[in-house]
Amino acid sequence: MGELLEVTNLTAGYGDGPSILDGAHLSVEPGKVHCIIGPNGAGKSTLLKAICGMLKIRQGDVKFNGQSLKGLRPDQILRKGICFVPQERALFPKMTVRENLRMGGYSLDDRSGLERSIDEIEERFPILKERRDQHAGTMSGGQQQTLSMARTLIIKPAIVMLDEPSLGLAPKIVQEMFDIMKMMASEGITILLVEQNALMGLKNSDWGVVLDLGRTLFKGPAPEVLADPRIQELYLGGKKAA
Amino acid sequence: MEQIIQTLILGIALGGVFALMGSGLSLVFGVMRIVNLAHPSLIIAGAYVTYWGFRLWGIDPLVMLPVAAVVLAGIGVLLYKLVFEREARSAKYSEMTVLLTFATAMIVEGALGFMFTNTQRVTSPGYATDAIFIGNVFIPMGQLYAGIVSLVIIGALAAFLKYSRFGNAIRATTQNRDAAELLGVNVNLVGIMSFAIGIGLAGAAGALVSFVFSFFPAKHWEWVAVLMSLVVLGGMGSILGTVLASFLLSIIAAFVGVWFGSTWSTMTFFLALFLILLVRPQGLFGEKPELA
Ligand SMILES: Nc1ncnc2c1ncn2[C@@H]1O[C@H](COP(=O)(O)OP(=O)(O)OP(=O)(O)O)[C@@H](O)[C@H]1O
Ligand SMILES: [Mg+2]
Repeated sequence: MGELLEVTNLTAGYGDGPSILDGAHLSVEPGKVHCIIGPNGAGKSTLLKAICGMLKIRQGDVKFNGQSLKGLRPDQILRKGICFVPQERALFPKMTVRENLRMGGYSLDDRSGLERSIDEIEERFPILKERRDQHAGTMSGGQQQTLSMARTLIIKPAIVMLDEPSLGLAPKIVQEMFDIMKMMASEGITILLVEQNALMGLKNSDWGVVLDLGRTLFKGPAPEVLADPRIQELYLGGKKAA
Repeated sequence: MEQIIQTLILGIALGGVFALMGSGLSLVFGVMRIVNLAHPSLIIAGAYVTYWGFRLWGIDPLVMLPVAAVVLAGIGVLLYKLVFEREARSAKYSEMTVLLTFATAMIVEGALGFMFTNTQRVTSPGYATDAIFIGNVFIPMGQLYAGIVSLVIIGALAAFLKYSRFGNAIRATTQNRDAAELLGVNVNLVGIMSFAIGIGLAGAAGALVSFVFSFFPAKHWEWVAVLMSLVVLGGMGSILGTVLASFLLSIIAAFVGVWFGSTWSTMTFFLALFLILLVRPQGLFGEKPELA
């Protein structure tokens, strides 16, 4: 099977500190939404940071289209088409919305093409057009998250990794974010989603991946993961009502 | 009334020069989170470059300005490469950079003293001692030129940061280093360039300082607190803030000088630094104290 991204036996950590990831596996299929769930501190964010090159790979490997990403810098990995939207959303609060979008295309060499792509994105997300000259830091959480996600589209990415896009947002807004995500997937972009809210995440995904103590425990179709009694008990326990 | 206008004019002219002195410091702090205590000593170095160009070959200080800027920019790149680049990965980065910039200031002072002695110097192009009179109000040409040139340079810097691709990368790195890196900005290159530009601005400021003030190698100590007060009041790392703070404090200092004598005029900056840190550590425009 042709996996787009293949993480094998990955070990990684921060600086000289202990290995946070220790034996993580992940295979990512093109055009699908993959939801990584697991308890606080499981290493979900760490996994995404290792894939995008912010953390050094100590052991194991990450392969994109069969090529190893080991030793590449974040900007080099980005140029291969892997975008990461971290938990903190990574906006520039005192730059305008338009300038933030332009920074999204910083790695592109075609500058006039960039302005056109930004125009297109503004057409698709009217709120960003409306707010184009406003500082990003003055927008609401949902608008900021929309900007972070829309910004990835500028480089026409192959994979977009989203770390807790729902964080701090009202439930109604959360569903809007998932809708944007699914729209991206429907255009052929592969999504790697990390969600604290496992139930919501899995419901909006094709695949579920369970990570704990820095290693992958389980991967299966999202509905199966949702139904799995072990997962129910461990991670969905208090949320049955939803 | 005339006295008030006169004082205002002197304050504004000086404010322009201080704004240029402070903006390089602010840029380096914004990008690198380095409080560069050596900045004023590098301004003095720029003043010496200008002084010798004038004294040896009679080159006008304003013509020497780009030369001083380029020489100092080169020194900035060297400093970054030799001293700060390797510290960027240290866990004690902040503490280390304070000590390192302090040491750098001492070394620059020592080197200048060794090469050029501790004699007071001033470059004296014709306009440095000229003045124009409007009624009874006089405008010293030297300070007027220095103020105008400062504002032109700061304007160019602001336009570069706002409208150029690399300028945007510098601003982005200042606001969110990790995010900039994730979007493909080479943050190390941004660090080098911010040092080159920031210290280059020190050189340019030095060229102006060389005919506005008399100077000697140890003069920079007087300016450390002055520049700190500007940068802190401006909201650490905000260049616009630094510029506004420069005008505000220079004008206040000019009035204090007239009313209470010139010793108190310098004290204005020290007192302001003290008060700002106590009452509003985030500065005029900052949102939160970043140096907590
Ligand atoms: N910058 C850092 N430096 C050192 N250790 C870190 C850093 N960030 C996270 N860790 C450690 O790595 C471990 C895993 O953290 P990580 O952020 O990957 O967890 P997570 O699964 O994303 O959790 P959460 O649901 O809370 O976001 C934790 O023990 C955490 O303390
Ligand atoms: Mg996390």
